[in-house]
Amino acid sequence: MSSSQIDNLISMLNQIETNNNYKKTDEETAMIVANHVKKFWARSMKANITKYADSDGSQLSPAIKLALAQL
Amino acid sequence: MINYYDPATNTTSNKPIDFNKDYGTPASTSTQTVCLEIDGVKITVAAGTSVMRAAAIADINIPKLCATDNIEAFGSCRLCAVQIEGMRGYPTSCTTSVKEGMVVSTENNDIAKLRRNIMELYISDHPLDCLTCSSNGDCELQDMAGAVGLREVRYGFDGDNHLDAKIDDSNPYFTFEPSKCITCSRCVRACEEVQGTFALTIEGRGFASKVSAGTSENDFASSDCVSCGACVQACPTATLMEKSVIDKGQPEHSIITTCAYCGVGCSFKAEMKGEEVIRMVPYKGGKANQGHSCVKGRFAFGYATHKDRVTEPMVRDSIDEEWRVVGWDEALEFAANKIKNIQAKYGRESVGGITSSRCTNEETYLVQKLIRAAFGNNNTDTCARVCHSPTGYGLKATIGESAGTQTFDSVMKSDVVMVIGANPTDAHPVFASQLRKRLRQGAELIVVDPRTIDLLNTAHISANHHLPLKPGTNVAMINAIAHVVMSEGLEDKNFIEQRTDEYNAWREFILDEINSPEAMESITTVNAEQVRIAARAFAKAKNGAIYYGLGVTEHSQGSTMVMGIANLALATGNIGREGVGINPLRGQNNVQGSCDMGSFPQELPGYQHVSDDVLRAKFEKSWGVTLDNEPGFRIPNMFDAAIEGTFKAMYVQGEDILQSDPNTQHVQAALSSLECLIVQDIFLNETALYAHVFLPGSSFLEKDGTFTNAERRINRVRKVMKPLAEFADWEVTQKLSNALGYPMNYQHPSEIMDEIASLVPTFSMVSYKKLDEQGSIQWPCNEEFPDGSPIMHVESFPIGKGRFAITPYLASEDRANKRFPLLLTTGRILSQYNVGAQTRRTANNTWHQEDLLEIHPNDAEERGINDGDWLGISSRAGDTVLKAKVSERMQSGVVFTTFHHPISGANVITTNSSDWATNCPEYKVTAVQVEKVTSPSAWQTRYKKFSAQQKEHFKRSPKKQKATIGS
Repeated sequence: MSSSQIDNLISMLNQIETNNNYKKTDEETAMIVANHVKKFWARSMKANITKYADSDGSQLSPAIKLALAQL
Repeated sequence: MINYYDPATNTTSNKPIDFNKDYGTPASTSTQTVCLEIDGVKITVAAGTSVMRAAAIADINIPKLCATDNIEAFGSCRLCAVQIEGMRGYPTSCTTSVKEGMVVSTENNDIAKLRRNIMELYISDHPLDCLTCSSNGDCELQDMAGAVGLREVRYGFDGDNHLDAKIDDSNPYFTFEPSKCITCSRCVRACEEVQGTFALTIEGRGFASKVSAGTSENDFASSDCVSCGACVQACPTATLMEKSVIDKGQPEHSIITTCAYCGVGCSFKAEMKGEEVIRMVPYKGGKANQGHSCVKGRFAFGYATHKDRVTEPMVRDSIDEEWRVVGWDEALEFAANKIKNIQAKYGRESVGGITSSRCTNEETYLVQKLIRAAFGNNNTDTCARVCHSPTGYGLKATIGESAGTQTFDSVMKSDVVMVIGANPTDAHPVFASQLRKRLRQGAELIVVDPRTIDLLNTAHISANHHLPLKPGTNVAMINAIAHVVMSEGLEDKNFIEQRTDEYNAWREFILDEINSPEAMESITTVNAEQVRIAARAFAKAKNGAIYYGLGVTEHSQGSTMVMGIANLALATGNIGREGVGINPLRGQNNVQGSCDMGSFPQELPGYQHVSDDVLRAKFEKSWGVTLDNEPGFRIPNMFDAAIEGTFKAMYVQGEDILQSDPNTQHVQAALSSLECLIVQDIFLNETALYAHVFLPGSSFLEKDGTFTNAERRINRVRKVMKPLAEFADWEVTQKLSNALGYPMNYQHPSEIMDEIASLVPTFSMVSYKKLDEQGSIQWPCNEEFPDGSPIMHVESFPIGKGRFAITPYLASEDRANKRFPLLLTTGRILSQYNVGAQTRRTANNTWHQEDLLEIHPNDAEERGINDGDWLGISSRAGDTVLKAKVSERMQSGVVFTTFHHPISGANVITTNSSDWATNCPEYKVTAVQVEKVTSPSAWQTRYKKFSAQQKEHFKRSPKKQKATIGS
């Protein structure tokens, strides 16, 4: 997975987070993000982002990290 | 006992309407009935019906010339004069309403003499060239001369007359031959009442009066005429006549079918000579269009038989090679082997496909079935990804169903109509005509759009509000409107209490001062007081309806905006009855259908999620395969994976992704990375330039099936000619599936619909038989709603209660800055359709030969730009060159273009920015710079070269093609 592809997935996750975190705790946001990803993302996209989260994850927010842990 | 038929006791109020008959005046909507007697026949009709119509219902056909049943009675020709007991003289039956107990005589010696005299005067100033006249066989004047028994013209033909009046053939599709005009005003009234353009008028008085398009300086082409053809249809003589009829003569049979252009889904009679379409005439029985059409549907059908149609399959191993023309079996074998080899080498998920929103429901269903069952993955998507996918997401989340809530006809009961990010006069013209009719009756209009769209210029409109917001600030605007509703106590408390959930959290959110129009003013740039006035008008209306288009969805917050719209409708109680509702104006003819049919990667047909074991099991049982329980790739994900090297083959039916998807250079890179691209289309489109297999498609005229329009109306598409390439698209998909080893053996599309009905709960009672009986069906159509559902959510929502969604505004990432100070937004114009593959191959090019960049006079002046200058437009994604059109329709800081011509490269500029929930591209906001240039862009030069090279590959293919590539 090239870095530009990972960047793309990260920016998609950031968008999902910022559109769903109004007055929510990280845990609440994480659940929404996780459900969205489960429902709409293809298997390989989930695998790639999880791999990134496990290996580096520096560009992921706390809520997104929590979300990915739920996948 | 023998029952004799007695006409005198024949009551007629319940007789079904014959949509092929002209009843002379429009139907009355009254529920009261009136009994009267016409020529000894007792007739019961709705109060308010004209005597003419009442007679016609009883098959008593009173002669008429100036009357026709899609416009109001006018009473000018007086040919329909009758005698009525107790009334003096000869009242005209078209302008006289029925009354209880009325006794009417339609024929006697006095009436006959009167009618003959009238006809004699008409004919004294009319050419006597009936035998060679284009309307011979379809001329009401000729029919009436026959009906009244005209035998002589005592006045002679030597007096002053109009026989030398000059023909106007400036319109590419019809001629205006004033020497044949009887000045009945039907054309003028059709232009006003049916189309709502008011382009035609009667100029002069008495003998000098004549029909005129615009002023006396204008011909039809230079007038305001939008070439909808309503006047041609209304004309009782050969004065306004289709050129195709002049060239070829009168059609001999007709077949009712559905237009393949926009999401209005107009019904047409395809009027034929053998297998040749002579003209398309909108069908009065079509519930979406009620006998009206636009320039595309009525006239722009010539593409179907254009010389560019590719009618033989072709294959090649690499896009650097010439095409080889092969037989169907070889092409399908070639394609199937490639797919199988790629899957063997790169894995099951390395292939996918795109279903077509241009094709029928049945064809779309088969393509996604092939992908899920034969490819064995869920990598299916459709062009709704790039238009209305946020509608699907946003409406499902809030009101539980991914579809508009109303019929088009519902607008006739609306008191305030809010149009957001849509340009119906150009993109949904027939609905726009109906909306304008309602606006002329007094409904208020609110337009939320950066541009001054034509709807705002509707003639005889009582009140309109324009909220010209900055592109990318929709959510800020809808929140501000809802804030006004809530903070001023204008909400519908009853509705909220009984029909909605999650209200308190939303109420708290929306009442936050950050959502007030005053706080949002700096973001939207719209004056707060203007927003308050419009919001109050909407909230206080008895019936408030919202119509929206791609100006809502094609944003990074597209889904949020759809939910914001739903919030507003829920808060004001504008759902669940006529005159209200949330109405997405769908772009393509079958984009609603392609979504319904399971084109999205996460949903099986009927929006049934792939991860739901129970739902999936139903499909597995029917299809006899195990289905993947994980969503597949969306179109942009496919492109990303292709560039990454893990996605290697695509089957694309009827969609030109290269031209229509954003960031063209990214798409080019993705398509170039594929080892097998299978394109099925009627033309060698731009995407096909990158293809390895070309499977000839069939136009809507060549197949049976159904389209579903924006009001969930399933309309029949009927085959009027044989497929030019032998097979309809559904047959080709079936053959490809068989070649891949997954058997499909449908004999007719009706069998596919039966399968759909067995698997999709909202379609369970849909069948071709029912469609033929009812004409059309609006889904849901099942045990709960056996005749379909014109208005949805009357009692409850599919999710029980409507759900308010929290919709905070977030700025688009692609903001204007110093380097890219302007915002580009893209859209469509009336005469061309989307990528233009069809309309560019018709005379519609007369109106739009190239895409232009519209720019506000201030921005133009700052850059020294004049009309017609070449402009370089650059964004983060790329640059292109277009000609300038300085336009007051734009607001300062915003530029606009269309993407109807491939060489324009409009999508070279648009970026990968997309909706957070659905990846719908943000076509409507791209930060750009514009400057004068002298040569085409580097992309355009490269593209021209590539396109020319591909033309050579096509022309020089070993078996010489009859066709040539057009572009």
